[in-house]
Amino acid sequence: MTVKWIGKRMMLGILVLLIVSFLSFFIMNAGPGSSATAYYGGNAQTLTASEKERISKEFGLDRPLIMQYGSWLKETLKGNLGMSAKEGRPVTSILGERLPNTLLLFGVSMFFIILGSVWLGMAAGMKPGSLLDRGLSTFSIASSSIPPFWLGILFIYLFSVMLGILPSSGTRSLSGEGGFVDKLRHLIMPASVVVLTHVGLYARFLQESVKSEIGSYYVMAAKANGVEEREIRRGVLRNAFIPYLNYLGMTVPSFFGGSVIVEALFAWSGLGQLLVKSVMVKDYPLLMGGIMLTGLIVIVTLLIIDVLMYMLDPKLRRGELGG
Amino acid sequence: MKPRKMLVFWCSLLGLIVAMTLLSGPLATHPVNEMDLDAVYSPPGNGHLLGTDHLGRDVFSRLLEGGKVTLAVASLSVALSFVIGIVYGGISGYVGGWTDSVMMRILEALISIPSLVLVLGFQAIMQGGMWGMTFIIGVTGWFTTARIVRSEFIRLKDAEYVKMAKMFGTPLWKIITGHLLRNSLPPLFVVTIFNLAGAIFIEVSLSFLGIGIPPAIPSWGNMLYNAQNDLLIGAWWIGVFPGFLIFLTILSINFIGEALKDPGRRRFHA
Repeated sequence: MTVKWIGKRMMLGILVLLIVSFLSFFIMNAGPGSSATAYYGGNAQTLTASEKERISKEFGLDRPLIMQYGSWLKETLKGNLGMSAKEGRPVTSILGERLPNTLLLFGVSMFFIILGSVWLGMAAGMKPGSLLDRGLSTFSIASSSIPPFWLGILFIYLFSVMLGILPSSGTRSLSGEGGFVDKLRHLIMPASVVVLTHVGLYARFLQESVKSEIGSYYVMAAKANGVEEREIRRGVLRNAFIPYLNYLGMTVPSFFGGSVIVEALFAWSGLGQLLVKSVMVKDYPLLMGGIMLTGLIVIVTLLIIDVLMYMLDPKLRRGELGG
Repeated sequence: MKPRKMLVFWCSLLGLIVAMTLLSGPLATHPVNEMDLDAVYSPPGNGHLLGTDHLGRDVFSRLLEGGKVTLAVASLSVALSFVIGIVYGGISGYVGGWTDSVMMRILEALISIPSLVLVLGFQAIMQGGMWGMTFIIGVTGWFTTARIVRSEFIRLKDAEYVKMAKMFGTPLWKIITGHLLRNSLPPLFVVTIFNLAGAIFIEVSLSFLGIGIPPAIPSWGNMLYNAQNDLLIGAWWIGVFPGFLIFLTILSINFIGEALKDPGRRRFHA
């Protein structure tokens, strides 16, 4: 049962990835500038018609789109994402260099967001009508309205320009010896920007589901029977956590999109910054690879969340809600 | 504050911002692109209300003009995604069956791509001006609208009055516009308001990354893009004011959306 359910989820994820690849492949190839001419950058205009034709042949661009997609898919499944049109290196190795940085930023900020929002959401939700309870909604709307890159700009001004205590960009110091501590110092600002602009949203969601749990009969009955406060808290959190996880899953894509901007602002050399750069120089193979990897990260995260929900929710396990 | 008062407050604030950008002509103290190389990076005050940028251009005047661009792009793109969302969601919800399943799987796939990444894909091939931007944001922003229209149509299409209308031979388009669409408007309205905040956010983000609206046209995002370097030499006013205005605009839109969402929370949860 369990294996079957997870298998079904994985199939859905693969289907989503296929659709993503199909769409982005067609969007990118419908455009006027082909990647063959992008290869020549500014010199593309000086190419003659026959030269263009020769290049198209060489890159296989004279075949129908669906055939091109087919061969792209075949190569991708073999683990070959082609060569970057600008850097002349395999896309996979470029992506490989960027992936750890993105996962670090994503993982660290996700961890603190979950930690912070569970703490805030529980504290506010368990005491309806308290100052925290009333303040949290306002804080949540306000903090999620701040453009992350603007907060980042303010942070850079405050901590790098005025106080000079934190590095304003990059993943490591140019002069220093580098190392883990150095990387962490560079991580502080981008991660806090992501956490601060998102934590309120998730805290508020948990707060509302905690509040609706608190009013239910099982909590009242537990209280009436003198069950310890701590036990009640645990039960409430466990039940409120399921919709919270669901919400987390729903918002992972946009959350990930937001980190693209933060990466670009802080020159954090991750996937997001790479995507932006490849758009600027029209490096289609690289962009395509970056989009696929982003999609993969999102799908895997969703899968992890699904499995967690499955473990927490007995209704799902019994198959009452359907896959 | 009472919810009602709050709604009025945020609506007036948003109205004020919109009015100021619309009246940028008479309100601007300097021509938008007038360069004053003698007054480069002059701080707020001294004849420039909010200071000047690296070319000596007046920040206040550019802020008003930039707002017009940003808000125009956002509203037009939201209108576009509104239409696409209604058509897509409407077909999916009304026709039902396997058409609905296929369309929903595609929608699920689209939703799981970060929309900013999707926008980047489009932007790589278009890199147009304002219209290109509007098109791209509109084409990538209709997913929630479609979902809501679909669920509303599914809920409404078996309602008594719709069945009745069908029995009397009311033409299909009349059933769709007059009954189904009309009754889906309240939740649609709320989601459209939130979409507007999202659209502003995407325009500003892209321009900020330097791949949005062409740098020659002032927009809030472009101003922030330029401000990145100015910041390092201590010219904070170039970045702080546009950002603050973006924040205020998105904040008022979000509060308005929240206020309108609240009364019928359960109904709007699609």
